[in-house]
Amino acid sequence: MSTVSYDAVIVGGGLAGLTAALRLARSGRKVAVIAKGDPACCLSTGCIDILSGPSGALAALETLPAEHPYRLAGSAKLAEALNFFMETMSSAGLTYHGTATANRKIMTPIGTAKTTGLVPESMRAAWPVAGEPINLVSFTRLKDFFPSYIQARHSNVNLNVFDAGVTSTLAIATRLEEDAFRGHFIDWLASLKLPDGNLYLPAVLGLEEHATVLGEIKATVKREVCEIPTLPPSLPGQRLFRRLKRTLQEQGVDFYWGKEIASIERQKGGAIEAVTLKKSGRSARVEGRAFILASGAFVSGGLYAEQSGNVIETVFNLPAHAPHDRETWFKPGFFERGHGIEAAGVRVDEAFKPLETDYPNLWACGSVLAFSEITKHQCGHGLAIVTGYAAAKSCEEFLA
Amino acid sequence: MIKTDVIIIGGGATGCGLARDFGLRGINCCLIEKDDFAAGATGACHGLLHSGGRYVVNDPEAAHECITENTILRRIGKKCVEETEGLFVRLPGDSKVYRDRFLKCCSEVGIVTTVLSPSKARELVPNLNPALEEAILVPDASVDPFRLCMLNAISAQKCGSEILIHHKVVEFIKEKGRLTGIKAQNQFTGEIKEVYGRVIVNATGAWGGKIAKLAGHDVPMSLSKGSLVITNHRLTNLVVNRLRPPSDGDIIVPNEAVCLAGTTSIACADPDEIGVEAREVDVVSHEATQMLPAFGQTRLIRTYTGVRPLLKGGGGDGRSISRGFQIINHGDGLYSILGGKLTTYRLMAEKMADTVMHEVFERDVACRTAELELEGQELLSGYPLSKRLKDLSDIVCECELVTRQDIEGVVQRIGTSYVGDIQHRTRLGMGPCQGGFCSYRAMGVIQEMGQTSVEDSMRSLKDFLQRRFKGVRPALWGDQLREEQLVENIYLSLLNMEQE
Repeated sequence: MSTVSYDAVIVGGGLAGLTAALRLARSGRKVAVIAKGDPACCLSTGCIDILSGPSGALAALETLPAEHPYRLAGSAKLAEALNFFMETMSSAGLTYHGTATANRKIMTPIGTAKTTGLVPESMRAAWPVAGEPINLVSFTRLKDFFPSYIQARHSNVNLNVFDAGVTSTLAIATRLEEDAFRGHFIDWLASLKLPDGNLYLPAVLGLEEHATVLGEIKATVKREVCEIPTLPPSLPGQRLFRRLKRTLQEQGVDFYWGKEIASIERQKGGAIEAVTLKKSGRSARVEGRAFILASGAFVSGGLYAEQSGNVIETVFNLPAHAPHDRETWFKPGFFERGHGIEAAGVRVDEAFKPLETDYPNLWACGSVLAFSEITKHQCGHGLAIVTGYAAAKSCEEFLA
Repeated sequence: MIKTDVIIIGGGATGCGLARDFGLRGINCCLIEKDDFAAGATGACHGLLHSGGRYVVNDPEAAHECITENTILRRIGKKCVEETEGLFVRLPGDSKVYRDRFLKCCSEVGIVTTVLSPSKARELVPNLNPALEEAILVPDASVDPFRLCMLNAISAQKCGSEILIHHKVVEFIKEKGRLTGIKAQNQFTGEIKEVYGRVIVNATGAWGGKIAKLAGHDVPMSLSKGSLVITNHRLTNLVVNRLRPPSDGDIIVPNEAVCLAGTTSIACADPDEIGVEAREVDVVSHEATQMLPAFGQTRLIRTYTGVRPLLKGGGGDGRSISRGFQIINHGDGLYSILGGKLTTYRLMAEKMADTVMHEVFERDVACRTAELELEGQELLSGYPLSKRLKDLSDIVCECELVTRQDIEGVVQRIGTSYVGDIQHRTRLGMGPCQGGFCSYRAMGVIQEMGQTSVEDSMRSLKDFLQRRFKGVRPALWGDQLREEQLVENIYLSLLNMEQE
């Protein structure tokens, strides 16, 4: 068995884990990320929902309950973390726009407005005022996108449909990265002689070459080009994840991808010394001075809800908070926010160290944290970034 | 305004069977159903075409009716019956005395049985508990209640009858002390239709008391709900029953790619105010796991509950009350048919129609429902993979391989704008995500066909999602909970449907 030693080992490759890893790597630490697979972030809109509220996320912060992870981090760290993210993405070539002091609205596939905090370049346009002309482009037989929903809600929609020969968002995005096909699409767009009004289309504008695809289209149509995030898997979410992961690789972070933890070694004082990874053939032992748990909630498998009513933290078996009776996990209404199960997770202190347990070198961040209530507060990616950053900061103090 | 001979209220098996029966005797009907076909107890049961084994010890008469009707339905409804056969499984601790009585009663009633050794039984159902003592093979079968209703309705329509689904009876029309018609309200548009007939039959199952009350009558009923769960796998190819006196969670029925397991029996007051409780799910899954240990590791994709429309009289719980049926002549042009069970729906319809023919039309025309095959079965060529794969790029529901053309076909045929109607007719949304992804798409297809306004689309989609959630919620843990949170994210976060 081979052993590799790190200053910090991050368990989980989602937005929280990657943020924590980057923060530590930037201060010169040797960092590893262990992940079971691509994170739930790839299924997301790619927007950073910080916290819903009419006057922006910061103003809404004090309405949160005291145990909410944002309250534990505090508003200063929240702002610092979001700046860190914006700077990172900007230098990674996937610029984000927005602030914690004002929320924005983006177009959804049913023509409604989704409130969010930070958006990528392709979603930066302001929400159309009533009657503002909308140039909408759709693709033949794209099954997750029905322009009639948007036409029915907005009075001035000019719809054009392009036949890309393929019917999934990923397939269209891949074709748009081919020069010849992209040229053909851009010629078609130019031939439309679009009337005034921004150009809206489902989020298909490339994956790795997104900046090129977006840039060339913008240069042709000479107006804002707005992507509408589609049902999972969603390209803007994948772009975010891939850019961030590449940035980490460039920073020298080691990845153990597609790996699960088989066993944990602890020292006498309770500190984690190393984890062993499940692997065919020789198993790998990953040693760390510090560990950060960023394994996500139920969708990602960091938490598991049992029929008996128990909620399990799946990596370190930390005590997990959850409403005990399964009857109380979900409210009766599908459209009700604040289901009991949303508060489940690992309770931490203000340094993001797990409570009621004795792991002196373990921190936790992201949606595995108790009281996050992400759907209720619409705070998913923001929570990942802020708590990932905050946990890394505490971890850094420990390592120093 | 519609004029007809017989107004039938209720689109379950009894009502649809009655419409066909009358039609074949040359009598016109108008059937009124407030939801879709099979929306009450008909659709909310195991879909078990009983051999009679379940009742044979306590109620040989009911068992005899079952085996007779079982044989008839296999003949007339080939496309809605899957001839699975069934096992009664005796586990360690189950009474041998009951087993002996069971075999003796089956032989008296005429239910063919074969006693199988544990190894023979496990050849038929490899998932059976290896500790079983023995199993008894009986002619149980699996029946699709929705298709059964639809085919009966099609037969009736071919005889000139009218079928109104999504119409709720809101008022009886009375002239000189006699009930001469009803007012029915379209559940989507609110429009009221008047229907007049010479006689009205209340075939509304658990809602029988409510409808009778609307007409000013009191019908004593004893309501008991039975809850079931749906697995995401077909764990057995045969019906599996527990060989013991009827109790909770002792039947598992294969159906298409899944299994249905249940039930419970809990007294209830109002068929409109019922739901599945977590403890019921726990009981059913625990009991099913005794027979098929793999059940314990299987994802439950949905739960549902139905209300047994039993007659009051006799004590005990819902199971010990007679499953026989009763016809009540209210004397003012209204009849009620109450009780019964899915397997014997045709017999109930026959007796009801006999009564009306004799007392109202004073013509004794023979019943023909047992001899003629159900019409419209050519529509149900099943769902062969070749058909589903004919245009992969147009698949809307990935779990059940339902295409855009399938949806468009249903919309054109019945003019609906409700996703639930599409689901019942195509299996859209019956897989592991329960329509989480594809209901949005199906609604989009309907919307693009110009069938509905965006407001109606959203209302319809929300209604579908809420009904879906009611069924999914009691079995949310493990992987099903993971999937649910993804679905929740689509509608509450990505689409922000609440904005409506």
